[in-house]
Amino acid sequence: MINKIIKEVKSFSIGYYILAAIAIFGLSVAAYRLYAGLGVTTNLSKAFPWGVWISFDLSTVAFSGGAFTLAALVYVFHLHELHPAVRPTVLAGLIGYSSVLVILFMDLGRWDRAYHFLIYPNINSALFEVSWCIALYSTILLYELSPVLLENTRWKGVIPIIKKWTIPLVIAGVTLSTLHQSSLGTLFVVMSPRVNPLWYSMLLPIFFLITSLAAGLAMVISGAIISYWVFGRTLPENIIAELAWFIPWTLGVYLVLKLGELLITDELHLLFNSGIYSVLFLAELVVGAVIPMILLSFKRVRHSRVGVLTASLLVLAGVVLNRFDVSWFAIKPVNGQIYTPSWMEVAILVGVLATAVLAYSLVAHYFPVFEETAEVIEEKKARKRRMGRILHPRAAAGD
Amino acid sequence: MLDTKISRREFLKVAGVSAGALAIGHMLPVEVAQAAKEAGLLDASGTGYIPTTCEMCVWRCGVRAKVKDGRVVKLEGNPLHPHSLGHLCARGQAGLMNTYDPDRVLTPLIRVGKRGEGLFRQASWDEALDLVAAKMLEIKDKYGPEAMVFSSTHNLSQVQFENLLNAFGSPNYGTQRSLCFNAMIVANQMTYGMEEPARSYADLEYLILTGRNLMEAISTSETSILSHAIDRGLKVVYVDPRFTKTAAKSTDWCAIRPGTDLAFHLALLNVIVSEERYDRAFVEKYTVGFEQLAEEIRPYTPEWAAPITDINADVIRRIAREFSDAAPHALAHNGWRTSNFENSFQTERAIASLNALVGNWGVHLLPAAGEGAGPLGVPPQPPYPRASAMRLDGVPWKYPLVPFKLGVFQELRDAIITGKPYEAHGWFIARQNPVQSLPDRGRTLEAMSKMDFIAVVDIFLNDTTWFADVVLPEASYLERYDPLLVVGDKVFIRQPVIQPQGDAKSALWIYKELGKRLGLEDYFQYVDEEDYIRQQLAPLGVTLQEIREEGYVQLPVEKRSEIEYEWNTPSGKVELFSSTLDNAGFAALPTWEEPPRPPAGKFYLLTGKVGRHTQFATQNNQLLHKYQDEPRLWMNPVSAKAMGLADNDLVKVTSDVGEVNIKLLVTQAIRPDCVYLTPGYGHLSKGLTTAYGVGASDSVLHVTFTDQISGGQALSQTFVAVQAA
Amino acid sequence: MSEIGVNPNQKGFLIDAGRCIDCRACLVACSVQNEVSNTTTRIWIKETGVVGEFPNLERYSAPYHCMHCDDPSCVSACTVGALQKDENGIVTYDADRCIGCRYCMYACPFQVPNYEWDQMLPLIVKCDMCVDRLAEGESEPACAATCPTDAIMFGPKVDMLAMAHQRIEDNPDKYVDHVYGEEENGGTATFYVSPVPFEELGFPTTESTLSPAYSNRLITHGTPAVAGAVAIGLSGVYLTIKHHEEAMAELRNDALAVETDQPEAEEPAAETQESDNDQ
Ligand SMILES: Nc1nc2c(c(=O)[nH]1)N[C@H]1C(S)=C(S)[C@@H](COP(=O)(O)OP(=O)(O)OC[C@H]3O[C@@H](n4cnc5c(=O)[nH]c(N)nc54)[C@H](O)[C@@H]3O)O[C@H]1N2
Ligand SMILES: Nc1nc2c(c(=O)[nH]1)N[C@H]1C(S)=C(S)[C@@H](COP(=O)(O)OP(=O)(O)OC[C@H]3O[C@@H](n4cnc5c(=O)[nH]c(N)nc54)[C@H](O)[C@@H]3O)O[C@H]1N2
Ligand code: SF4
Ligand code: SF4
Ligand code: SF4
Ligand code: SF4
Ligand code: SF4
Ligand SMILES: [Mo]
Repeated sequence: MINKIIKEVKSFSIGYYILAAIAIFGLSVAAYRLYAGLGVTTNLSKAFPWGVWISFDLSTVAFSGGAFTLAALVYVFHLHELHPAVRPTVLAGLIGYSSVLVILFMDLGRWDRAYHFLIYPNINSALFEVSWCIALYSTILLYELSPVLLENTRWKGVIPIIKKWTIPLVIAGVTLSTLHQSSLGTLFVVMSPRVNPLWYSMLLPIFFLITSLAAGLAMVISGAIISYWVFGRTLPENIIAELAWFIPWTLGVYLVLKLGELLITDELHLLFNSGIYSVLFLAELVVGAVIPMILLSFKRVRHSRVGVLTASLLVLAGVVLNRFDVSWFAIKPVNGQIYTPSWMEVAILVGVLATAVLAYSLVAHYFPVFEETAEVIEEKKARKRRMGRILHPRAAAGD
Repeated sequence: MLDTKISRREFLKVAGVSAGALAIGHMLPVEVAQAAKEAGLLDASGTGYIPTTCEMCVWRCGVRAKVKDGRVVKLEGNPLHPHSLGHLCARGQAGLMNTYDPDRVLTPLIRVGKRGEGLFRQASWDEALDLVAAKMLEIKDKYGPEAMVFSSTHNLSQVQFENLLNAFGSPNYGTQRSLCFNAMIVANQMTYGMEEPARSYADLEYLILTGRNLMEAISTSETSILSHAIDRGLKVVYVDPRFTKTAAKSTDWCAIRPGTDLAFHLALLNVIVSEERYDRAFVEKYTVGFEQLAEEIRPYTPEWAAPITDINADVIRRIAREFSDAAPHALAHNGWRTSNFENSFQTERAIASLNALVGNWGVHLLPAAGEGAGPLGVPPQPPYPRASAMRLDGVPWKYPLVPFKLGVFQELRDAIITGKPYEAHGWFIARQNPVQSLPDRGRTLEAMSKMDFIAVVDIFLNDTTWFADVVLPEASYLERYDPLLVVGDKVFIRQPVIQPQGDAKSALWIYKELGKRLGLEDYFQYVDEEDYIRQQLAPLGVTLQEIREEGYVQLPVEKRSEIEYEWNTPSGKVELFSSTLDNAGFAALPTWEEPPRPPAGKFYLLTGKVGRHTQFATQNNQLLHKYQDEPRLWMNPVSAKAMGLADNDLVKVTSDVGEVNIKLLVTQAIRPDCVYLTPGYGHLSKGLTTAYGVGASDSVLHVTFTDQISGGQALSQTFVAVQAA
Repeated sequence: MSEIGVNPNQKGFLIDAGRCIDCRACLVACSVQNEVSNTTTRIWIKETGVVGEFPNLERYSAPYHCMHCDDPSCVSACTVGALQKDENGIVTYDADRCIGCRYCMYACPFQVPNYEWDQMLPLIVKCDMCVDRLAEGESEPACAATCPTDAIMFGPKVDMLAMAHQRIEDNPDKYVDHVYGEEENGGTATFYVSPVPFEELGFPTTESTLSPAYSNRLITHGTPAVAGAVAIGLSGVYLTIKHHEEAMAELRNDALAVETDQPEAEEPAAETQESDNDQ
């Protein structure tokens, strides 16, 4: 057994080793952080009690929005064609959320009491809502993914039982996601005096929700295309194009709401006279929304791997920038104090990211995450061959 | 403040030394708690308030100490005490941190390393006291009792300290007074025949404060009363080369050139006399020498004073008029630490004369009894031996008008160095930090190095204790009894609110035990501290129990219906012209004495208190350290710019006797020809873990200058050069 | 939101920047009273610093601690309800509950909650109006009790507010005509009067007179409804489409039964899906 593992490990490419090294280093720093407290390890301060970790969490949750977007499309809206993307996306979501949980744990001063949010409710608190939703939703993601993990094990027998509950849980999951994606925006509502007016809005929850939809889609798409290059497995081109088709709509709604709100609150002038904030804000909107929206409204782009990927990456960049802006760059300094993360904060983050990539690769390597995708492709080909047979949509779901 | 001014690094450094400091506990005391319970001050669980007296500075506010399980957890101002009026200043609030300072010395120490190396071993009281007594007797035998120098700063057990030195037979006694208020006290005595008249702020309309920084050099009640008076409209003229927190609350700030307060006050006198704005009736009836004064001050017009003082002539004239218009509801405050220039004595004389001219006596200046035991009892004792030797500090043979009680400490120190008129060999110091409080630290250390033996009674390893041969740890003021204190018509107690920590003992105990070993037990006829207080209370018919419960006892009020216009001067009147001064060959009238000015390129070096610290004693208090800004050298931006210096630059400050390095604070709040440094930093002792390494000591820089009349040290007369370090 | 005067037990502060001498007795008193560690604080001094040109200088200061807002943002924010507004209007902190998320620090428009950054398991450090001390029967919090100049006054909230206005009215030349804390963040229990504009003292200016806690509540209280709506909506969509598909499938099955082996049968289905997408 041990020999087998050793042999297996030896067979890994150098990339794995590098990732593992980064991960181990980052996680050691994390352990030190828990021991030494936040003061020594971070550059957080009274003026900036939240830092890059929170920005990371917000971005990652938005990215992981792919999981709920896709689940909704596939299971609720019955766009079964998209089904092959479900497993890799759910896995990415789960790993994304797990990273968020780890980083949140790092961020909690009283990590020893992390469970308190479960037992001491404050229904007025957006963060309470977010915590609950994320916890529940991660569980659901794990549930959704469990068939994949159990498939080749001796507990395989429970898979049908698990699958039976998929739909209600997916609905619960999508609901929770809608809630926490938007609640993450709500977080900043009570912080209004600290948030630059370009970003502050009562509509923040809606902005966050919509952008998480766009980010989710962009994530599924770019994930699929990248995994095509990395693993040689991917989603069918038409599915990608179909997904891409949603993005301009989402972004359009976002742009209208966002600019409309500035217009109504008579803050449009801020767009151009807020110095660095104007630059950040416009970068976010132009790079992250306007350009990809235009790109993806062309069918040609939607059907080109490079085109779709470019647009998706722009969307993702825009969303990351947005989350960093709202939670960090656009927070008004106090007494001229600003925040830049310490090397330890960054190291922990990079460590967690490396762990996440490692985990994703390993799970994808050992479990049938993409199998289905390949299967489906095969099946589709077969289907074409077995002409005359009407493919019941549910067949593709493997039910 | 904490989150803006203290950089992250400093913040962590502070964290390093202080973590959990407030949590230092100790055993449930048996006796103190038991007694307090019996007195009904603590409940069965050991919780309650015990009245006592603050000792964080010499103002001695009344305190209600909250005690819980044998720990003092909070100090409150005693509303019944005239010095606290229910409040405590920052230092008073932080008092319990002195008691719980991890750097406290809690057992007697005997030096083992070289002097000043800081190596001590712990010893029993018997061993330590035997050693001290043996050394003192040895010195007495070899060189006579006068070879033992004693010094101590104003404190409640000082009576017994003085008892010790008088019984021992030494005439050499150094106190803080010549570094503090000699100019004021001697001037008051010459003018009014009393040390310091009491001041009343009730209905006061106009106040001139000359370097009396009451909002920072705090006396809780006076600070509080002044503040309320300003609130109701009191006009304050504040005269100081620095824009202090008092200046910020004043109607006028006169950024006077240091050392020229005399010119300013002479000009005020000039206007008041020449415009006949004085209280003729009072002057005629109760003063002597008005004619001579009028003659003397004739040349001192505002126009004369303006270029000297840098205060506009119109402003001086306006102030003189406003002041006399407000009279008798006007007061020229006589200040406290008036040891600024050699001419400070004359300044004080001018202030005293000013008050007399406007006739505010009986209204805002009231006769005050000098300090003393009042109607309290004293333990019986034999008469002291006659001290045959002359005093090393030159009183009276060099300083004929300086009262024995005040002395000239800096001169005493210098006589130790020169060995003239004779050599001193031992130094017994209690509750004093001369290494820092005397000017010219280098010379003070030199004097100490001449000593065969040094013993110090203190609660910390302060800079002086650091150079001691034997350290005798006193119990802190929250752990001990002291002799009773009379304030106005009440007698207040300082009593232990917790059991002394470690082996610390009260001064009353230490002096008695030492006295015994010196063969002087007849001078210490009290069994213990409680017995001492019982003897004090005896004439009042009050029990110890009673005063312990209430914290004070009321004295029978002697009705002083009318103010007695009688002054204890040779003439029995207010002496504008002082015959005493005249007889001693000094100027009998306030008269102009030109103070030295800094040569080109040099600055006046100013000193002065900050609200969070007392002298050289509290810098190690973690709570005060927490809220005190980092000490830096103040400099006006004009000067800084001219010298190419910027805020926070490290600079080297050089005087004729020493140099220090310190960070610069560029601020508008100081005249361009002055720099200012917070006193009390730059400690030598590594036994002060919080304070060590912070700031620089201005005592290193101060040159010793003594006023011939009052014996006061001129602390602003030192000039320094500043350059980038 | 609590209305001034509704609860006669509501206590408040009146702080006069005209009186404060920056002696920091209040700061020390607070640290001792509340056993605040030496590396943090519940109360600060805000100050103008020395302003002006020598020798025409000014300098003002005032202590600064929790305002005890009427509708406290921190209470709304706190994840676990460690911050609460008690019946006397005191915004209290339950150290045993806090998880150290520091959301309250960002939520407070006055940047009041402080943190034990140097601790392994840190807590929030925030003024609680000395609630324990008051409960023990002392008439004033530690800071107010010790202040040598009575710059910090304490008493019934109504009286404090009335006194604030009275002081301004009595000394219109001395004070700026603004009682800080009366409307800020929707009203607080800490009122300030000052001879200089509050921005110069370094006080945050709040543009809205409504606490953000209010907006926050609007949203978070809407949440269960939204959640319900989303869940129901999604179920509805799911069921509708499922029903539709099953019907379609049945149709197709029927069709299959008739037209077995029909070639291009996949096309219509694909089209159906296409049209689904367009919904
Ligand atoms: N917080 C605090 N309070 C204290 C004490 C303490 O240590 N800390 N100590 C107590 C004691 S012992 C004393 S003696 C008093 C002393 O209290 P004060 O008499 O107020 O004395 P200082 O603070 O030493 O100095 C006051 C001012 O004198 C100014 N000054 C210097 N030279 C001159 C000059 O030539 N002319 C004029 N007009 N001003 C000048 C300085 O700039 C300084 O601001 O404070 C008592 N109260
Ligand atoms: N440069 C400079 N020099 C000055 C001044 C200045 O402003 N600047 N001010 C002058 C003035 S006004 C004065 S009054 C003098 C003061 O000069 P000092 O009296 O020499 O100085 P303090 O710091 O008061 O010394 C008090 C000592 O008592 C110790 N102590 C504290 N509590 C207790 C206790 O309960 N028992 C015992 N036994 N010891 C205790 C402290 O640790 C400290 O060592 O300094 C003068 N010198
Ligand atoms: S003025 Fe402050 S330090 Fe001095 S006795 Fe009073 S409370 Fe204590
Ligand atoms: S001032 Fe800040 S901490 Fe205090 S109650 Fe208001 S929001 Fe909460
Ligand atoms: S840090 Fe503590 S008190 Fe503040 S919001 Fe989080 S849990 Fe509540
Ligand atoms: S009320 Fe109490 S807790 Fe609040 S600042 Fe004052 S002393 Fe500190
Ligand atoms: S105690 Fe009073 S005067 Fe001193 S800093 Fe605090 S508020 Fe200001
Ligand atoms: Mo003094």
